[in-house]
Amino acid sequence: MHRSLPLAAALALAALLPAQDGVTAYRNARILPGGAPAIANGTLVVGGGKVLAVGGADTPVPDGATVVDCAGKTITPGLIDASFRAGNTPDMNENGAEVTPHLRVLDSLDPDDPSFVRARSAGVTTVHVMPGSRSVIGGLGVVLKTHAADPQAMVVKNDASLRIVMGSEPSMGNRAIRGGSVDSIYYRRPTTRMGVVWAARKAFFDAKEAMEQSVGAPGAPPSPGMEVLARVLRGQLTAVTTARSEQDLRTALRLATEFGYRTVIDDAQDAHMLVGELKAAGTTVMLGAPSATAVAGSAASDGADPRSATVRLLADAGVPFVITTGSNLAALDLVREAMFAARNGLDAARALDAVTIAPAKLLGIDQRTGSLQKGKDADFVIWSTDPLDPAAAAASVHIDGIAVQVIR
Amino acid sequence: MRALLPSTLLALAATLPAQDLLVRAKTVVVAPDTVLTDGRFLVRDGKVAYVGSDVPADAAAKATVVDCGDAVVVPGFVLAPTTLGRDGDLAEGALPFTPDLRAAEAFDPWQDELAKLPRAGFTAAVLAPSPRNLAGGLGALVKPGATGGRVATADLHLALSLTAAARNPERPPTSLMGGVDLLRSAFAQAKSAAAAGPDVAVLRDVLQGGRKVAIAADTLVELQAALDLARDFGFEPVLVGARDADKALPRLVAQRAAVVLAPLAPEMRRAQLELPARFAEAGVPFCFSGNPEQTRLSAVLAVRHGLDRQTAWAALGRATATMFGAAGQVGALRQGCAADFAVWSGDPLDLGSSLRAVYVDGARVHGGQPSAAAPAASSSSTAAGGR
Repeated sequence: MHRSLPLAAALALAALLPAQDGVTAYRNARILPGGAPAIANGTLVVGGGKVLAVGGADTPVPDGATVVDCAGKTITPGLIDASFRAGNTPDMNENGAEVTPHLRVLDSLDPDDPSFVRARSAGVTTVHVMPGSRSVIGGLGVVLKTHAADPQAMVVKNDASLRIVMGSEPSMGNRAIRGGSVDSIYYRRPTTRMGVVWAARKAFFDAKEAMEQSVGAPGAPPSPGMEVLARVLRGQLTAVTTARSEQDLRTALRLATEFGYRTVIDDAQDAHMLVGELKAAGTTVMLGAPSATAVAGSAASDGADPRSATVRLLADAGVPFVITTGSNLAALDLVREAMFAARNGLDAARALDAVTIAPAKLLGIDQRTGSLQKGKDADFVIWSTDPLDPAAAAASVHIDGIAVQVIR
Repeated sequence: MRALLPSTLLALAATLPAQDLLVRAKTVVVAPDTVLTDGRFLVRDGKVAYVGSDVPADAAAKATVVDCGDAVVVPGFVLAPTTLGRDGDLAEGALPFTPDLRAAEAFDPWQDELAKLPRAGFTAAVLAPSPRNLAGGLGALVKPGATGGRVATADLHLALSLTAAARNPERPPTSLMGGVDLLRSAFAQAKSAAAAGPDVAVLRDVLQGGRKVAIAADTLVELQAALDLARDFGFEPVLVGARDADKALPRLVAQRAAVVLAPLAPEMRRAQLELPARFAEAGVPFCFSGNPEQTRLSAVLAVRHGLDRQTAWAALGRATATMFGAAGQVGALRQGCAADFAVWSGDPLDLGSSLRAVYVDGARVHGGQPSAAAPAASSSSTAAGGR
C-alpha cells in the first residue's frame, strides 16, 4: 500500500525528514530525463539519494514508498551550469601574478554565497566554478553541487579544469611605464592583448621545456604550476579558454594548436563568425548568455558582436556546445538561457540537453548526474510547467534526494 | 625624565635582599579548578613558592603579610593576542610572509595600552604581529610593571592570518586562494631537507611540535583552510577571530583546535552569546580577544548565557596561557608560576565586584596595599587607609 500525498504537503514533509531516508515515487509527471525521449506520464522513484527507477506509468513503486502526485508538472534532471560565476569577490582573482595554474578556486569559495542560493532556487543543482578572469592562467576550476553542509561535501570533481583567459581582461589594471607608481605589483606586463598571449605562450613553453628536461633528470620536482600545465599538455586536464571576440577565439584556437592541447572555449560570443574553424578543431563551446544582448542590452562582450541565433548555428553545424550563464553579470537564470536558445530556433530537447547531460559529459561527471537514470544521483527539479515556458518556476529542487528548495 | 626615577628605584631594589610575601585571603583561586577557602600562598623572588598548606611555617613567619581579608584573589588575567595599539609596528606591510619577525622587538615597555592592563585586572598580554600579514611573525608574552613593562617570553607562538586583512591589493597574495597556496607551499618546503633560513627554521619548529600556531580566520572558508593546513602539517591550531566557528565545531573538536573568540557585547544575537557555552560543552578551549574591559565583559556575558564559571575564569587567563604556550608561567597561582594576581572584592565574573589591587611578579602595580606589612595590624584599619 502506498501513502499518497499532495505535492506541497509531501515536499514540506520531505524537507523535514532526515536526509535520504525512505523511498519516494513521483508519479503522473511529464519527465524529460535528459539525453532520452520525454516520458508523457512518467514515474520517478528515488531513495538513498539515488534514482532507483525512471519510466512510464507502469513503473513498479516499492511497498512503503511515499507517493507524490505530480500531475501537470514536468520533471527534469537538475540543471548544470558549466561556467558559473560564484560571488564577485576579489578572492576569485590572484592579482599577484598573471600565471597561477596551481591555484584552486575552491580555496576562495564561500558555500554561503548568495549565488548558490539563487542557482539552486532556479533549478541548478551542479555548477562548474573557475577562478576569475583577471589572470591569463588563473588556476583550477571545481565542480560543485549547489547545496551541502560544508564546502568539501559540495565537491563533485576537484581540479576539473584549467582556466585560461584571452582578451583584454587579464591586462586590465596593469600599468605601462607612464602613469602609476613603479613600486606597485601592477607595474608589469601584460598591458595589451598581445601581452596576454605572450604570457600564456611563455607559460606553456616553460612547461614543455620542464617536461622534456624532467625526462632526462627525474630527480628535480617540477614547480606546482608547471606540473598543472604539463597535465594539460598530456591531455589529462581540460583547458577552458575564455575568449569572446572573433580575434580572441582565433587566438585561443591557435595557441591550443601550437602546443597541441585541447581546449573548451568559454563565453564564445563571436562563435557564429567561425563555426567552420570550431568544427574543424573539434572544440566544445560554452556559450555564455545567448540572451544577454537581446534582453539586457549591451553585455560586457570585450569587442564581441553576439547574435541570438549563434546557438542554433552551432547546432546546425554540429559543433558541440553547452549553455551557461557565463561570466556575464546580466545573464538570467540558466533555464532562461536555454529558453532563449529555444526561442531562437534551437530544438527544445537539445536546449534542455545543453544545460543537463551535455555539460555533465563535458565535465566528466555524467556517470553521477546530468540525466535521470537508475543509479545516478537523485538531482532533479519539479517544474510548475514546461521548463522552457517563460512562466515556469521550480516547484521543488532536489539534490542527492534532499529537497533543497520548495515553493509552497 | 620619566625613565630616571624608576631606573633609580630598580637599581635600589636590586641591591636589597628580596622579602617573601605571604598572601592571605578568604578566597584564593589558584587555578580555575582549584579554589582555596581561607587560602594563602608564599611569594619568593616574584614567583609563587608555596601554596596553601605547603607553605612552611618558618617561611610564613618571616614573610611580609598581605592580608586581603574577605577579598577574592585570582590569577592575573592574560590578554589574548593583541598589538596593544601598535599595529603600525607589528605589521611588516611590504611582505606577506615574515614568520621570523619577533613581536618582542616592537615592544615598548612604556606604552600606554600596557600600563592600562592592571586597571582591569590583567597582568600579562600576548603581544602578537598584526593579522595583516599571512605570516606575521612570532608573538611574545609581555607584562606591565611598576618600573615599566617587560618581555616575559620572546618567541612565543607563530602568528598566521588568512583573514581579509591579510589579502592586500598592493602585494601578492591578493586573494584567499593565493594566500592558502603560499602557506601550504611554505610548510611543504620546510619539510624538505634542502630548505634553509630563519623563516624555514620557524616553520620547522611548528612541524616538530615545538611551537604553537595561531591562525586568524573569520569565515567558514578561511577556517576550513586553516584546519586543512593544521591537519596536513600535523599541528593543533589556535583559531583567532573565528566568526563562523559554530559551523566548523565538529572539526574543531576532532582536530583539538582552540579558539580566540571576538569579544561579546550585550546586543549580540543569542546564538553568538551562547557559543562559549557550546564550546565548553564540546570541549573546545577558548578565550576572548578585545581590550581588557571587553574581555571581562565577554566572560560575564558568556556566564549569563549558560557558561560555567570555572570555564569562564579559564577564558580570562588560564586557557589563554595554555593556548599560547605560557601555561607554566601565567594564568595560575601554582608553585613556580609568576606571582601575578589581582585582589577583587568578590568574584570578578560579578560586575558588582571591584578591583582592589594588582600584583605583577610579586610587586604591586595597581591599587592600594590590602594590609599593612605588620602582622599585628587589623584588616579593618588597613582597608580604610589602603585606598
